Amino acid sequence: MITEAMHSTIETIKAELLTDTVATTTINFLVVIDDDAHRQWVLDRVTLIDDKHPARTIVLDTLSTGDAAKLNHDRIEIATGGMNPDDVRSLVQGLMIPEIPSVLWWTGDEIVDQPLFDPLIDIVDALVIDSSGSRTDNRTVRDLADFSQRRPTVALRDLAWMRLRPWQDMIAHFFDDPNLMEELFAIRNLEIVSGSEAEALYLGGWLASRLGWTACAHDEFCDRDGVTIPFTHRREGVGRRVRRVSVETGASTYVAALTPSDEGVVSVGVSGEKARPDRLVPLQAIDNASLIERAILEPPADEVFETALSMVGKILS
Amino acid sequence: MPDGTATLTRPADGRVNPLRAGVDVNRITDPCNIVFFGASGDLTKRMLLPAMYNLRLGDTLPNNYGIVGFSRTEWTDDEFRDEMKKAIDEFSRSGPAKDPMWSDFAKRLSYVAGDFDDVKCFQNLKEHLENNDKTLGTGGNVLFYLSTPPSLFSPIIDLIAQSGLGPEDNHTGWTRIIIEKPFGTDLASARALQTEVEKVFEEKQVYRIDHYLGKEPVQDIMALRFANVIFEPLWNRRYVDHVQITAAETVGVELRGGYYDHAGALRDMIQNHVTNLLALVAMEPPVNPRADAVRDEKYKVLTALRPIESSRVMLDTARGQYDAGSIAGQPVPGYRTEPDVDPHSNTETFAAVKFQIDNWRWADVPFYLRSGKRLARKTSEIAIRFKQIPHRLFGELGDSIDNNVLVMKIQPEEGVSLRFSAKVPGPKMHIRSVSMDFNYGTGFGVVSAPAYERLIGDAMRGDATLFTRWDAVETAWQAVMPILERWETTTDESFPNYPAGSQGPPSAERLLAADGREWRKI
Repeated sequence: MITEAMHSTIETIKAELLTDTVATTTINFLVVIDDDAHRQWVLDRVTLIDDKHPARTIVLDTLSTGDAAKLNHDRIEIATGGMNPDDVRSLVQGLMIPEIPSVLWWTGDEIVDQPLFDPLIDIVDALVIDSSGSRTDNRTVRDLADFSQRRPTVALRDLAWMRLRPWQDMIAHFFDDPNLMEELFAIRNLEIVSGSEAEALYLGGWLASRLGWTACAHDEFCDRDGVTIPFTHRREGVGRRVRRVSVETGASTYVAALTPSDEGVVSVGVSGEKARPDRLVPLQAIDNASLIERAILEPPADEVFETALSMVGKILS
Repeated sequence: MPDGTATLTRPADGRVNPLRAGVDVNRITDPCNIVFFGASGDLTKRMLLPAMYNLRLGDTLPNNYGIVGFSRTEWTDDEFRDEMKKAIDEFSRSGPAKDPMWSDFAKRLSYVAGDFDDVKCFQNLKEHLENNDKTLGTGGNVLFYLSTPPSLFSPIIDLIAQSGLGPEDNHTGWTRIIIEKPFGTDLASARALQTEVEKVFEEKQVYRIDHYLGKEPVQDIMALRFANVIFEPLWNRRYVDHVQITAAETVGVELRGGYYDHAGALRDMIQNHVTNLLALVAMEPPVNPRADAVRDEKYKVLTALRPIESSRVMLDTARGQYDAGSIAGQPVPGYRTEPDVDPHSNTETFAAVKFQIDNWRWADVPFYLRSGKRLARKTSEIAIRFKQIPHRLFGELGDSIDNNVLVMKIQPEEGVSLRFSAKVPGPKMHIRSVSMDFNYGTGFGVVSAPAYERLIGDAMRGDATLFTRWDAVETAWQAVMPILERWETTTDESFPNYPAGSQGPPSAERLLAADGREWRKI
């Protein structure tokens, strides 16, 4: 139940926002901060996105207490420390613009047993999260796989997945060659080295879901003919970065790996029976603000991601 | 929720790559050689090679490609690579070239020195390309790029044919040609050049480049019109009062005085860039987004341009030439004192034209086009000014209720702006204009690729949508010829008639004032 004081706060902020010049607003953008060391980093990125996108931005700071809500330029900041989660939801709902998409950027790693998570999820259309944000293990991606089963109507955007697009393109490109395409159905081993678990799991889950494999044991897939495909994923190097992907078939080995001289470039080649000369692929550096923008702009349903995440859940279960 | 199993199944013919679902392919698939004629020139260094390098950095180029420079300068392959490295370091949007990408790219660069009128040099080029096919796997596909002075276009095309480099002699792949603007200097020379082109190339193999058409906001004109329901119903004579298309520059002729003094603003900008914009704004919806459907509609609307009779040229046009003045607080010289410019030049550095389109949609809606150098601000835009409201219901005495204006901004800002009227808060019904702005570059969180990157990539893919077809070029020349002929045979005694840094000559203001209208401020 919304209190009178809260109602007054909402009306005051709305009135202040209305005195500004004419502006368009395309989304409600909710941001939750739950890590003091991370606060400024998050706010800097919110500012970048604010500058580019006409949004109703509401920042929820779970570590602060004080005034329920205040207007900081065009951004609404709410100190939610000590507040009842349902009150937070009411306050936020009152400040959101109806009938435009609402996106929640959950900047923390934990989504389980977080008091604000479920109340906020109830009022948004999409969740943006980074399952390899400050973690290198697989806990967040595991929780996310579980969440996606529980709440299938919330569109998910995982920055860890979105960073993989160049790697997916490189792997797909091996098999764009009509003479190599049949090899896709003869894969016998998969090995991925990355700085955090989420990337390796996502790439494995993606390949498996695209090729109709099943998760038949821990770190093992089975293809449609029942042939076992061992899946090795090793943590090495800095978080959020894939270092090497190796796909073996009976005849050839397909490898994409960072070059030693420049880790912004990947060397891609095929050895063995179907050998192809190495070629270099530059990795475009994409910062988190740009990824979040893409997360906001991409269409609501991403079947490729959803099937890959579902497969990740099965690998980990 | 999907169950983790792909909906895609193994294709019987093995032709569909299931990993491509949701993973875009931006890469050009056909291997090819691209030959830059005029490789030692300014355009190649500033624009073309940096564009090729950035296509490579974006992983857009095919796996197998070769880049061949051809010009008179006596360079070896390594000297050409060194020169191109310097050019990329200075002009590439991605900054200086670095290893390992540069070394990888440089391996694909090579050079053929030769005269543009010596068939032996073209035969050397042919052998060079055949060698590239063997060593680089370029598959017999060739894209020629004419970035030389226009006077060399015909001789080069002739020698391409004579040396066996033309499409008729290519039995293993495709042959295409990109031709830089200007395509002719008047209707007769354009037709003469086209005659030479047709002897060697079919129309579908010819890519006449107008780099304006590669700019994202220009492409956005079609999206704005045909991907929204709210604009197109208003896009006609019933609601539109007039259209203004502006391409204003602050720069003078710089080092191009020799060329420009024989060209002028009408040839340099109005006949191609600005007329192309007019076509995109005024055309009917194409039946599909493919090259020929779009180009059919552009051609149709250009054929509906009412010819300006000689007797009306002075009434429906304005010309100007800049005098000394000030740009951004700095004094700048007048046109007639620029290098390689005739001190008594009659060449216009500003041109304004009023066109009428004789068709059902646009009858009696004037299209005002203007372009000039050394104007107050660099700006390119299309402004659709709508009609006045039919009945004034609101507004206190003294309030002006401005017409709605939709502005498509092309450069330097890229976006769309809509002006409309709103009530000023308070007890009285005061009305004022407000503007709703969309900034294209930032709105989508991506930086638009330079036009040359887009257009070269399209030509390599075989997509001619953003290139100008011959019938449109010819029609655009037909539209401006009466103006050119009249201007060239009458000296404008008022020249120079506008100071650098101004809005243009008074005659341009009079052109619109005669219709009871005024230009948007530059």
